[in-house]
Amino acid sequence: MTIVAWTILVMFFVRLYQVFEPLLFAGVFEHGITEALFQDGWFTSFGFAMLTSAAYAALSLTGIIVLVGFLRMKRWSWVVLMVWTGISLTITLFDYFYSEANYIIMASDTIVAFALSQADVQRIFGIRTDPGERLD
Amino acid sequence: MNASTERPTLPASTPDFDLLRRFEPVLRFTKGEQFFPMDVGTHVKESSLWSHSPDGRDTLLVRQGDLDLEKLVQPRDAAFGTVHYLRFIEPLSLSEAARALADQARLRTKLKNHFHAGLGRLARGGILPRLVDALFSASFLLRGRVPAASAAAAELAYFRLRRRNDTYTYYGRVVRNNGWVVLQYWYFYCYNSWRSGFNGVNDHEADWEVASIYLYEQDSRLIPEWLAYASHDFKGDDLRRRWDDEDEINFADGHPVVYVGAGSHASYFRKGEYMAEINLDLPGWVRRGLNAWNKFWTETLGQQPVDPFRIPFVDYARGDGLAIGSNGTENWTPVPIAESTPWVSQYRGLWGLFAQDPISGENAPAGPMYNRDGSPRGAWYDPLGFAGLDKVPPPPEALNLLEKNCRDITTRQEKLEALIPEKAGQLQSLGIKLKGMEGNPHLAKQYASLERQKDALVGEVRGLRREHFENAALLQGLTGRLERMRQGARDDPRAHIRHLAIPVKTARMRFENATQTWAAISQSVLLIGIVVLMVATPKYIIAGLVILTLLLVAIESVLRGAFVQTVGGITVFLAMVSAAILIIHFWYWILIGVLLITAFFLMAQRLREVD
Repeated sequence: MTIVAWTILVMFFVRLYQVFEPLLFAGVFEHGITEALFQDGWFTSFGFAMLTSAAYAALSLTGIIVLVGFLRMKRWSWVVLMVWTGISLTITLFDYFYSEANYIIMASDTIVAFALSQADVQRIFGIRTDPGERLD
Repeated sequence: MNASTERPTLPASTPDFDLLRRFEPVLRFTKGEQFFPMDVGTHVKESSLWSHSPDGRDTLLVRQGDLDLEKLVQPRDAAFGTVHYLRFIEPLSLSEAARALADQARLRTKLKNHFHAGLGRLARGGILPRLVDALFSASFLLRGRVPAASAAAAELAYFRLRRRNDTYTYYGRVVRNNGWVVLQYWYFYCYNSWRSGFNGVNDHEADWEVASIYLYEQDSRLIPEWLAYASHDFKGDDLRRRWDDEDEINFADGHPVVYVGAGSHASYFRKGEYMAEINLDLPGWVRRGLNAWNKFWTETLGQQPVDPFRIPFVDYARGDGLAIGSNGTENWTPVPIAESTPWVSQYRGLWGLFAQDPISGENAPAGPMYNRDGSPRGAWYDPLGFAGLDKVPPPPEALNLLEKNCRDITTRQEKLEALIPEKAGQLQSLGIKLKGMEGNPHLAKQYASLERQKDALVGEVRGLRREHFENAALLQGLTGRLERMRQGARDDPRAHIRHLAIPVKTARMRFENATQTWAAISQSVLLIGIVVLMVATPKYIIAGLVILTLLLVAIESVLRGAFVQTVGGITVFLAMVSAAILIIHFWYWILIGVLLITAFFLMAQRLREVD
């Protein structure tokens, strides 16, 4: 279990990359916020980068809460993490087929999904009640 | 054993008719059932007789009103492949069909004989089986089927018949076979309205069902031991219950109760609602592929098995409607039958419409003695094998047979105990002889010959010792059973059952109304969603379809209380797709990684061996 927990922890930090990636490309770390966020009542491309980053930051904060729950082996944290991974995989696959794929996120999501579906992990979180029996 | 299961006995000399009457089952129907066991003579009088020739022509042989049981069994020459059949409901024009449906609704209101499905079958299955079910329903457009208005017309016709003659008939038969006395009760219904009346699998004109009771003789008394009711998907041992199995069998005034499936007329021991899933007849390679996928999905990925090709249907055997038989609201009219009964043995055709359904679900059945193709029916010619009793001796004989088995084995053991030392002695003698021949090159030929004898003897002695050892274990088991039987101990009454029909728990679904509504509209929502995607975002149609399906499945899982399981399954499936993409794009780097990890692992292993 320790290995799985640490794997998921590492994967979670890899996901933080999603927060900073738009800011890196927008050059925020080099030049600060130099461009307008809105134009003609809608987001500029810089504004979109900031919005994306903010959204990922909010997700990461949620992720920390989930992580705490996960390390304390709470059932709800397994469910939230699985839902989150499912949504993230859907978006990543959508990106793969229709625009640019983010293989790092795809790989991390895949590892997390398979790690969470392990029978032992499911038993620890009370998802699977009996060996080889029905899920909750 | 309580009063309800205390076995009634009758003298062995009791006439067959009295035996049938003493044990005749009570049939309890579900409220809303429209058809009950009737006499075949009335049905035949109300039917026409037809023949369907191999070239597809249907020919009227005897008109409705002119037919009776005597004319039914008249010999008729016909080409190979010809099907003779009765037709209870003549073809209806559009206006007649509309009138029949309206009259049916009025009749039900008048009789207050409405059926309430409760939690419908669509809500009991998942969204994937529901989609396959839509295809199954669509298949009726291609397959032969009984027209919808026929059920309404049959219901009205049967109601008129009941007003003229309100009797309920069973056809009783007594067979003596291998120490068992078998009482067979055959029930004829003029119509099976499972699909049109109760959202079931099929409709067909005419229906034959059977319930059997197995008695044995002891001290010149006949004692009931087993009951077997015909039911969907069950056969052999699974059809049989022991008379004293009070958890499985209900009795009314000493008569066993049969709970009859609404419309289907399948028989159940316990009242309730039964899931009758049907497996679509898929090509072998599809079924093998599905099995391989399920093996990987369940064993490797640890998920729940999935079979979208199992369509759920409900068989309602609630027992809250009409009851026929002892203590019931109606009484039986028993009619004995045998091979000598002309309509039983001489009419091999179907007892209702031949709908030309290639998988036969909508074709009427043949009589008690025959299958649809005219071959003999197992339940008739082998009533013991029908319930898996061909290998079971009656209790008094079971003790004798077991004692004989024990005696035979004991005798064989005594022989072996004398034979083994004798053969072992011969072997030792051969062994010492061979030892003495060693070192003498001129005896090589004899040595080789003796060695072959020795090898054969070694095999024989080993075989005898194994047989003795196995017999000892077998004898121990048989003796133990013999002791238990002598003390009157009985087996678990359900030890022989592999698949037990268990009514489903109807209260296990949460958000019941929402689930029912969702089950009814989900397929339409999916189709409307596809249309919206086609109009609004044709570029993203496939991705949109996948996301829409996942969304529907997620909503479904919330209503069915399986959200966690479903989300896990979906995410693992998406992870598999992602893994496949990653392997395709990065197989070279993955290979390098695997080789490096293997190299370091081997290095670490080998270095451990170095001092």
